Amino acid sequence: MATTTANCTINSDLLQPNLNASKTSILMKGGTSSDGLEFMDMGYIEVATGTNFDLLNADNALNKDKANKVYISNESTDETYYVIITIDATVIGRLYAGDWMFIPWGAEDANADIEIQAYTGTNKITYAYFHENRTLTSA
Amino acid sequence: MATTTATITLASTDLLSDELNLTSSATLTAADTSTGITNTSGLSRKTVTGGHGQYTLFDGSDYTADKAHKLYLKNISTTAAEFFLITVNSEDIGRLYAGDWALIPWSAHDNDCDIKIDPSANDMTLEYMLFVD
Repeated sequence: MATTTANCTINSDLLQPNLNASKTSILMKGGTSSDGLEFMDMGYIEVATGTNFDLLNADNALNKDKANKVYISNESTDETYYVIITIDATVIGRLYAGDWMFIPWGAEDANADIEIQAYTGTNKITYAYFHENRTLTSA
Repeated sequence: MATTTATITLASTDLLSDELNLTSSATLTAADTSTGITNTSGLSRKTVTGGHGQYTLFDGSDYTADKAHKLYLKNISTTAAEFFLITVNSEDIGRLYAGDWALIPWSAHDNDCDIKIDPSANDMTLEYMLFVD
């Protein structure tokens, strides 16, 4: 099996004493502790304003209700630039320039796409999708 | 100004034929500015003791809409099959299995955009922290 680790470290002086939290997890297939996620799609795109785009398409039964993970980073540098992340047209949140997110994604039905729309200007996005498998679409 | 940084490292030596080692660090700031986020719920734990029912973790109407809130979640269960189903406004995001964590941007887009958790078993515990814009 492949072993992929995801570490999150959060440091903050918002609290006294200061917060220093760190967590590492191994990206496993759903319901197992011995079989890691073995597939990854990764990319870099520029997202123009004006259209809500599908970033990741949920139309894949192999990953339905699994332990898939999605990483998205907004590489833009202008602090007023952001993208809105939606799933099946439900707004999840805004990812501003310099922000990243790491979420589980159940892709529970064919409509549960992860969608992205840019605001203020063309946003630069890096993404990675860790999953169990996918079927290729016939040409 | 308070400074909060969140750093992620994704690493693998055998997922690809070449080593994966991706690191990204973000300073959590308020929407449209470079001013650091100034409020947080603090690091908390919630044990859902009442069976498999869905529980509202954060109510969308309690937070300013369309901001740059961030939510950290961690399932501290050690039983591999146990997961929390995370939803926003009744839309499934995904399953957070034992040992997994997530950092989710949350804009509290409207009053219905509650963040809810649904444990797959009794007596599961979630660790969480909301950074509030």
